[in-house]
Amino acid sequence: MKGRAIVIDVIITPLPAAPLHAFEIWSNLQAVAARFKAAKGFPLPAMGQSAGHDGLTLIRFEPTVWLVEGDPEGLEAVLDENGALTAVGGGIVRVRLSGPGWRRLLMEGGVFDAENPAFAPGYAASTVIDHVNIRLHVESADACIAYVPTSYAHDMLHFWNAALSAA
Amino acid sequence: MINFTFDGTHYEAREGDTLAAALLRNGVGLVGRSFKYHRPRGIMAAGVEEPNALVTVGEGGRAEPNTRATDVIVYDGLVARSQNRWPSLGFDVGAVIGLFSKALPAGFYYKTFFGPAKLWLVYEWLIRRAAGLGNAPTEADPDRYSQRAGFCDVLVIGAGRSGLNAALEAAEAGQRVILVEQDHVLGGKLLRDDHDLGEDWIAKTTERIRAAGGVVLTRTTGSGYWEHDLVTLTQRVAEPGQVPENGTAQRLWHVRAGRVILATGCIERPIAFAHNDRPGVMLSGAVRTYVRRYGVVPGKRVVIATNNDDAYATADALRDAGAEVVAILDARPAPAGAELARGLPLFNQAVPLSVKGARHTLRSVEADVAGQPQRFDADLIAVSGGFTPVVHLHMQAGGTLDFDAEAQAFVAANSRQNVTTIGSAANPLRYTSSPLAGEERVGLATQEPSNSWRGETTPPLPLRLGDTSPSLAPSPARGEGHRRPNPKKSFIDFQNDVTLADIDLAWAEGYRSVEHLKRYTTLGMATDQGKTSNMAALARLAEQQGVTIPDAGLTTFRPPYTPVTMGLLAGRNHRDAGAHLRRLALWDVHQAAKPIWQSAGYWMRPRAYPRAGEDLGTAARREAQSVRSAVGMTDVSTLAKFEVSGPDAARLLEMICATSVAKLAVGRGRYTFMLREDGLVCDDGTVWRLGENRYLLTSSTGGADRMATMLSFVRQVLHPELRVSVVNVQEHYAGIAVAGPKAKAVLEALTGEEPPRHMSVAPAQIANVPVLLLAASYSGERAFEVYAEATQAEAVWEACAGEVAAQGGCTYGLETMEILRIEKGHVVVGGEVDGRCSPQDLGLAGMLNKAGGYIGAAGLTRPALSAPGRLQLVGLESLGGPIPEGSMLMAAKGLEAQGHVTAAAYRVMEGTPIALALLKDGAKRHGDELTASSQTRGQHARVRVVAPHFYDHEGARYRD
Repeated sequence: MKGRAIVIDVIITPLPAAPLHAFEIWSNLQAVAARFKAAKGFPLPAMGQSAGHDGLTLIRFEPTVWLVEGDPEGLEAVLDENGALTAVGGGIVRVRLSGPGWRRLLMEGGVFDAENPAFAPGYAASTVIDHVNIRLHVESADACIAYVPTSYAHDMLHFWNAALSAA
Repeated sequence: MINFTFDGTHYEAREGDTLAAALLRNGVGLVGRSFKYHRPRGIMAAGVEEPNALVTVGEGGRAEPNTRATDVIVYDGLVARSQNRWPSLGFDVGAVIGLFSKALPAGFYYKTFFGPAKLWLVYEWLIRRAAGLGNAPTEADPDRYSQRAGFCDVLVIGAGRSGLNAALEAAEAGQRVILVEQDHVLGGKLLRDDHDLGEDWIAKTTERIRAAGGVVLTRTTGSGYWEHDLVTLTQRVAEPGQVPENGTAQRLWHVRAGRVILATGCIERPIAFAHNDRPGVMLSGAVRTYVRRYGVVPGKRVVIATNNDDAYATADALRDAGAEVVAILDARPAPAGAELARGLPLFNQAVPLSVKGARHTLRSVEADVAGQPQRFDADLIAVSGGFTPVVHLHMQAGGTLDFDAEAQAFVAANSRQNVTTIGSAANPLRYTSSPLAGEERVGLATQEPSNSWRGETTPPLPLRLGDTSPSLAPSPARGEGHRRPNPKKSFIDFQNDVTLADIDLAWAEGYRSVEHLKRYTTLGMATDQGKTSNMAALARLAEQQGVTIPDAGLTTFRPPYTPVTMGLLAGRNHRDAGAHLRRLALWDVHQAAKPIWQSAGYWMRPRAYPRAGEDLGTAARREAQSVRSAVGMTDVSTLAKFEVSGPDAARLLEMICATSVAKLAVGRGRYTFMLREDGLVCDDGTVWRLGENRYLLTSSTGGADRMATMLSFVRQVLHPELRVSVVNVQEHYAGIAVAGPKAKAVLEALTGEEPPRHMSVAPAQIANVPVLLLAASYSGERAFEVYAEATQAEAVWEACAGEVAAQGGCTYGLETMEILRIEKGHVVVGGEVDGRCSPQDLGLAGMLNKAGGYIGAAGLTRPALSAPGRLQLVGLESLGGPIPEGSMLMAAKGLEAQGHVTAAAYRVMEGTPIALALLKDGAKRHGDELTASSQTRGQHARVRVVAPHFYDHEGARYRD
């Protein structure tokens, strides 16, 4: 950034609809975590982080809730009487922001320090961008997935594209 | 050269010129007219503190009124116009107001309140016609505005020498730094008084800051300091009135900083003397800026009036530029200034009394020199009454101020936030041309205080406006015989035409508090917020009170520091009132049918689907009759929906819902409503038992966010021990309501199965898409709500639409939904459920969970909720003509209102007007005849009070 010139190099790509579920644990967290690791081969991610394997990704956006991306088969059994799995995919549009400028783009209308290097691949955050509640998951050094409420997706895509064109 | 126009005349500017510099370069001294008296005004300052040179820049919707000519960088094609004059700037008819200035002293408009009220209407018309400066454009603003977050360890505001040093120190210490400068180039007063450092030092320092990762923002002003070291910055991406290269005109930064360094400098104070507002009276530092930075000499014969050493540097600059310094009037006794005058004519104990001129230019200066009157022919007077530190942001941060008696100024003291003031903003004495200015380190590593440096300059005189001198800095040694300027023509607040006499009058009329004085005189208001006037007014007030300036008090500095465009606050969506629209999952499907759209909160929903030749009314009536006689379908996706799962799901719901839930059988549903803790109804909806431990709760569209908050509060705060999951699935499911006598046939055809009976739920498939069928009626007809995952809803809608059409039905919108529910007597949140009604008021008491335990159960026991005189739900039938919605109910026109109409419509098939209303003790008043009167619409109707159900009282039409 030099003076008033701000250059943002980002490709904005809406992703096709995919199964998304809320995986909530209300009791026996450690037991559920152990069952999960045994069933899926990787541990439940910590708060603000993600973990995944073989097409299944879990992102912990809330203390007791993980967003499940991918085939949820077997997860209800993992939860048993200690939690619930609820489909939420219809209400969320996934948008990939890729390119070296994705962090800067997220500062537009934002309140979250997306430019902080500690917000690294595998990390996640729930935030507000231009008054819209959005969840972020850093996919790689060059890409971040934004989970946008379906009703706001059209306007958010417009918002981001306008921000790029005005950069 | 750069071309621009001012009042239609073409001029040329140099690259980097402000509009003020360019006008002076072209010999334009008259720039505007004053707010109240239409007095001719020129350019007084060289920065954002400019009170006089306010112009309109730009054209059409991009025009920006009241822009300081000193804060616009000229660009090719700039169009500027003077303001508050007619027919021309040079000949302004409004100046005749000045002849009546005796009748228009401070607070004159308050005095117009006295006397006959009818006269006030005349006064108001006159005042509104006469007052004001620029006009806001009536066309839409074509530009975009962006808002951006910024995070840093150190935010440095002000890129003069102190600011640059601080930013460099922090950046090279490895900290994230943002350096902000409101000018378009860095350097601050180094650009004028470079002390042999020059632009090379500025460039190298800036490069080092950037190389260390620092962010440098020019044309950016620290406009607001909020809690937790949140600072808002306003950045001009394009100049006022300029077509932005990429659409964005300005950017609002929300910067959260670990530490804030304020290197905001000082503002020079004017001096009070008669006609000190004329073109040709300028601040000394501003004159020096125009001479040294822009190469513009604003006058050929110059008098300098000062109470400090700094103005001598202006004298040097003018002499070097070829101007004649006629006199230096130094209010201090000899030998002050003797060494600095360098042969120029110096007069000690000398202050200006008045200036004279002709055709809006200066001709001479009348002065009191050691008690003797003296006149100097001059076309410019450069004045310096000392320096006021820019402590606005420090004060906005909650910081306290100390009065520096030596500098005669308030300086930053303590702050509860992590903010440090450095440079001349911390110590105004260093503003003077000391080569040491800005040398100190900020102590970023150690957090040490930094404002302990003191310069080696002769201090200015006390800020007194005593009867011995008209100056802001009179000589305390002067005795009898000194003349005084005319206080009625000695301006303190140039932007609001406030004179010394106005301050005196306010005092004489009993205004003792500085806050009262400010509001009575309008001192310190408008775009400059008293940047040049506050201290002078305080000095005068203190003098009247016989106290020191700090004892006289100080008004509070509030954001923004400089004016902020309203569009910038709205951000990128300023055309939509700052909010994004929420689109239905089926938006494209609806759009293809070309409905009339209606905003419902942030949502946009189809209001009706008019056919050729139909308006809203006829379309809605056709749709409603279709539902009553055959079938209709509508989009109900916006309803709030929550999936509640777990062994304790029923327990949670029995706290949320005021109706019983636990006994609901699997596959069954129930109407429900929710209360606030005070027992008043806040929302309603349905609850469905999908499985043994799984429920679906729906509630109103408008209350969706509130319901989510309520559920979250109960789940996480009141009862975190519950084994339950609450997931907001409002957008996961798209909803389609199918209603009408043929609705059941439609669903049978679509699913191939017997649809669930009323208030039952069943899974099904439509167009190979899994759906939930909820048999519930909001229309009064047999009806179903079909819920499908939003991503697959289009296929379900198309299938439903095809079958509905085959059954002779149609789609319907919000207007029809409203008509149907009014006729049926269903309440709606925001209409009848207005936050003041209890279940009893709405006729819902019979459905309350007798076991209690729900939120609001305790509140319901309050005697006030069962006291006489409460507004209760009733129906109204017209005795002639339509019933005006929102009208007040009264026994006859002009009598006391007894209630109001919440919703009005007509019987769908018969067309006779009906309405729902809230009426005092309404439940007992069926049969009463009243007048429904809307004064705002000028509509009235006689009505009869009836039960709030106009259709199918028994519910036979929706039950199997």
